[in-house]
Amino acid sequence: MSAVLNLSDTRDVTAFGSKAVGLGEATRAGLPVPPGIALSGPFVEAVASEDEEAVATLLRLAAHLPLPLAVRSSAADEDGAEASFAGQHLTLLNVPSPADLPQAVREIWWSANSDSAITYRQRVGLFTRPSVGVVVQSLLNPEVAGVMFTQNPMNGADERVIEGSWGLGEAVVAGTVIPDHFRIDREGRVLERIPGLKQVAIRALPSGGTVEEATPPGDVEKLCLDEGQLELLSQLALRCEQVYGPARDIEWAIADGTLYVLQCRAVTRTGR
Amino acid sequence: MAGAPIELLQRVPLFSELDQGELEQVARLFKERRFAQGETVVMEGSGGAAFFVIAAGEATVAVGTAQRPPLRAGDYFGEIALIDEGRRSATVTAASDLLCYGLTFWEFRPLVEGNGVIAWKLLQSLAKKLRAAQAD
Repeated sequence: MSAVLNLSDTRDVTAFGSKAVGLGEATRAGLPVPPGIALSGPFVEAVASEDEEAVATLLRLAAHLPLPLAVRSSAADEDGAEASFAGQHLTLLNVPSPADLPQAVREIWWSANSDSAITYRQRVGLFTRPSVGVVVQSLLNPEVAGVMFTQNPMNGADERVIEGSWGLGEAVVAGTVIPDHFRIDREGRVLERIPGLKQVAIRALPSGGTVEEATPPGDVEKLCLDEGQLELLSQLALRCEQVYGPARDIEWAIADGTLYVLQCRAVTRTGR
Repeated sequence: MAGAPIELLQRVPLFSELDQGELEQVARLFKERRFAQGETVVMEGSGGAAFFVIAAGEATVAVGTAQRPPLRAGDYFGEIALIDEGRRSATVTAASDLLCYGLTFWEFRPLVEGNGVIAWKLLQSLAKKLRAAQAD
């Protein structure tokens, strides 16, 4: 088993984690996924330990990825039914160069071994040595990004629910803004559009890291998705269901007019 | 060599009687961890994941509302929650940018179980803390 694979070759959940394998599946199915590599849990531990060979391998294999980079955790049991580590494990956006990768990987390794992560593991009966994979991808600079549920998570209705905002999707995921809310039916007809309050946008800084920027006043309540973009999202929902099955929770972004999938996982709960 | 610097571990009472070879073995188990000034390093009452040795910087220590002496380079903390798999007994906060080297429970326990000298030093340290707590 290789310790580092291109996302398209990533299949082993135990080694690489569900996020990496989900993105691998998406890549193989032709879904639009930013280029990236997946690091296995043992390889992440070796990089965190400053193993010279592992660090050199990482730098060599990451060198072909367009910069900057997004470095995300991919725990073997992440997003599973029994325990979700979302919020426990770190994501580092806008890592400016491969030379910064070993430190980023070490921080993610420590996030899986932090007091809060271990407390959580104890609470859900998982007091075992954590193994965390890592996904390294090119970071997009999106005009708009957000999440989409292929089935309404509140009532289980057979419709798409989309939430979006300006800039990086972390503003939606972290609840920094009240995102625009859309419901569309299976045929792509728009059922509802509710503008949010998008007072900030999260953007990548040239020196690395991200910043919350004030949104221009005219954009705060302006809908961030037009008819054509909603149509693209509708097609993406259908395609994701064909690849993964029903009831998916998709993180997406639109950069330079192209729609990308950043993550696709099962909806863990509906209100029905 | 990866891991904690040997010179740092030689200054830590827990490891001061280990020979060079043993120190090198122990040093390789450690991983670097950095905390920014003001960051909470461990929180009283939280579950414990790691044991740390400070390589540079200073940290404040509080038990409840009571302040304890600060920790500096060469000091260590975090061992109690790893020994009893219980809650953190104090809050440690980075008073400056802090460079630490840490061992998780899964490295710490076999290390202590396998080395009587380290285990004895650890017992002495715990006995000292117990007497200090009784005197409070």
